[in-house]
Amino acid sequence: MDRRNFIKLTAVTGTGAALASCGNPEHQLIRFVPDEEITPGLAEWKPSICPVCGAGCGVNVRVMDADISTVRNGQPGVVRMNVAKKLEGLATDPISRGGLCARGQAAIQLTYHPDRVAQPMKRTGARGSGSFAPVAWDEAIAELAAKVDGLDDKKALAIVMRPRRGSRQALFAEFARRVGAPAPVAYELFADDVLRQANGATYGKAQRATYDLAKARYVISFGADFLGTWGSVVAQNAAFGDMRQGRRGVRGKLVQVEARMTTTGASADEWVPTRPGTEGVLALALAGKYTPADAEKITGVPAKKIERLAKELAEQKPALAIVGGPALAHTNALFTAMAVNELNAALAGDLVGFTPNGSAMAAPGAQPFQHLANARVLLVDEANPAYDTPPAWKVREALERIPFIASFGSFVDDTSAYADLILPDHSFLESWVDATPESGSLDAKTTAVGPAMKPIHDTRATADVLIAVAGKLKAPIELPWKTAEEVAKSSQPPAAGRPPSATGRQAPAWNEPAFDGSASDFPFHFLPYASPAFGDGSTAHLPWLQELPDPLTSAMWSSWVEINPKTAEKMGIADGDLVDVTSSQGTLRAPAVVFPGIAPDIVAMPVGQGHEHFTRYASKRGANAVRLLAPITEQETGALAWAATRVRIARAGDGDGSLILFAGEKYEKPHEREIR
Amino acid sequence: MRCWSGGLKACAARVARVVPPFGAACVATLVIVAAACGSQGQVSDDVFTPAHRSFGSAARDYFNIRPTAQQPIPFPHKTHLAKGAECTDCHETVERGPVAGIPSVKTCMVCHSQIATNRPLIKEVTAYSDKGIDIPWQRVYGFSQEAHVRFNHAPHIRAKVECATCHGDMKQQTVAERKVDHTMGFCVNCHRQNNASNDCLTCHF
Repeated sequence: MDRRNFIKLTAVTGTGAALASCGNPEHQLIRFVPDEEITPGLAEWKPSICPVCGAGCGVNVRVMDADISTVRNGQPGVVRMNVAKKLEGLATDPISRGGLCARGQAAIQLTYHPDRVAQPMKRTGARGSGSFAPVAWDEAIAELAAKVDGLDDKKALAIVMRPRRGSRQALFAEFARRVGAPAPVAYELFADDVLRQANGATYGKAQRATYDLAKARYVISFGADFLGTWGSVVAQNAAFGDMRQGRRGVRGKLVQVEARMTTTGASADEWVPTRPGTEGVLALALAGKYTPADAEKITGVPAKKIERLAKELAEQKPALAIVGGPALAHTNALFTAMAVNELNAALAGDLVGFTPNGSAMAAPGAQPFQHLANARVLLVDEANPAYDTPPAWKVREALERIPFIASFGSFVDDTSAYADLILPDHSFLESWVDATPESGSLDAKTTAVGPAMKPIHDTRATADVLIAVAGKLKAPIELPWKTAEEVAKSSQPPAAGRPPSATGRQAPAWNEPAFDGSASDFPFHFLPYASPAFGDGSTAHLPWLQELPDPLTSAMWSSWVEINPKTAEKMGIADGDLVDVTSSQGTLRAPAVVFPGIAPDIVAMPVGQGHEHFTRYASKRGANAVRLLAPITEQETGALAWAATRVRIARAGDGDGSLILFAGEKYEKPHEREIR
Repeated sequence: MRCWSGGLKACAARVARVVPPFGAACVATLVIVAAACGSQGQVSDDVFTPAHRSFGSAARDYFNIRPTAQQPIPFPHKTHLAKGAECTDCHETVERGPVAGIPSVKTCMVCHSQIATNRPLIKEVTAYSDKGIDIPWQRVYGFSQEAHVRFNHAPHIRAKVECATCHGDMKQQTVAERKVDHTMGFCVNCHRQNNASNDCLTCHF
């Protein structure tokens, strides 16, 4: 072989040189030799899975070369790497079908965030102060292993995480099992555990349903913001698009039953408010189990309207009823969910399906964090219970007392600020990821896909870290996987199951919803709703989402309290005025937004702001609506009834500029509607 | 011939003939430009802006005035070409993508881990490689930002355009120099002769 061919076989391409900096080579940055093959300027598209919500949408990642700052042997410089530049939906993915929501689009900022934890950190200041110093990986892993070993009773090892249908939960569960610790607690604020339980009772499948919206001619949604924040949003949006435009001459009708207008409500043809917690009675009335007159007494919806809706539902087939969101956040939520299942049975639309994906996740049940009182070592993975739990659960107090806390997160948030050790995971673009979506497509699928890019920081896959810690224990544990890749690939393909048939079980009897706080002391219902930008607050640290104007109010970078215009006028409150919102748990202050799309006796706040710690973009910004929630629970399942807290409001002063609205006026002739 | 060749006096005379009112302004600009090359000024890292640091910097970019590249190691193209190396042996990605690419020091070491290892310059190359640092080559060819040109090598290679057409005969050069002036006329003439697209969006987008 001659010299030329030898070079062609083994040469590695390097970089593109930077333009000369005034001719003096000393002014140039140190450039390290790249670790991978670089074709400058040529982009490649690689698949991955968005981690932001439970939908598990496939994303397409555009990868191209870029200079990444790094430090090698103590010397700062840059190195050329093939890195992610843009996320799009993956066209071949049955869930996302090529679409991607705003939070998914912003997920790329998880990788490049300036406040990302770039290496393992050890606490230096007081607990909760958020001050950390870097530490080497070997030391961090050894310390965590030592702390686990130091537990006489391994039952004092607690793990909290976010419910996800992938291998991550299996990994932590297996680790806990082999160490002898209790199973991990998977908690999130806007979980739909009540819905799963109702589906289990009605259909034999304790999981979220997948709705065949494309075939529906009539959809009535009880509180479920299925085009905005609830369920498998991207899939539901695509299917709704098919419903509206996929059939010639058929537009279908969407009726939204809710007390506060959501994005879905804004797309609906008719909007029906009911008294909070009475949605189930309306559903049963539409199913013929209540007379319209009786239903009107309970729900406040006029009998004539109920008759008309029932008639439309019967005539426009196939029809579908969906329930979720605030309707299932009351103390009688199981009744409501079963009632809607009953309505679907009566409508016989055959539009409720289930992705055949095997077992359901165990719901955390009432008081999921009680065990923290006895924990001596706590592992935190993708959960932020110091932020998104009612104060009466005393999670922060428990965190202060636990002797050792380790977090695998990439950011210092309200919970990981209490950590003694942070072992940062890769961002999802740098990881082996997998997902087994619970809903969104009737084609069951498990996806496992490798990293779209190499890590840009000194982070390690949490799976690899756990495997290493397990191996370093005094009695070493061999987990069934050797690497993060094996963990991801071990995700079980879904088991093919029988399609469900309605068992025809009667809904439990109607019981009045209970609320925290008397109507005289606390005249308003408080509605903390999932933010289209932040969900439950887990993406508040991404600046693209902070600057995303809220679809209904156009507010951004802020917290706000939505108040009905008549109520606001009575209390002399205008846009931007500060209001104090008080529940039995405390008071918070936020600017008001006069919002026509809300019932007069309800005030609403988006969840997501008000973090004590959450990077430069979200720390100490706005107010945390969850801090007002009373620990009132659903009476059958023990799930948190987050829509059942009552409050009172009081004008606290003129606006201080903390409310930022993107759009101008809300009304056509604003000068005719001056409030003050 | 570049408009500023022949020095300020010749330029001023040329411009004064064409656009008298602008002559003085142009000369003043060039004086600033010439003087400004020495002052770099630090850009704050806090705020991203596409704006230039100084008027001098903006003017230099506009006229595509760049200081002559000073290479850290005087790489002799003619020596390597004489030994039978091809352009694409090192500037590999030119067939695949937009950018020809400057080889990483790993490419040099493919041969020079064995060849001529006793020469002082090769020892310098080896020193870079041992430290894991890429040789800080300085860019010789390239369009100014103002031109908004997005040049893609691959179609030119597919059209069998010789490297020497645009980059000069490297067999005569040691360190690369800008022997060929990439003005728009240069590109458009060749495109006309070869029936390649002359649509604006072909290159400016």
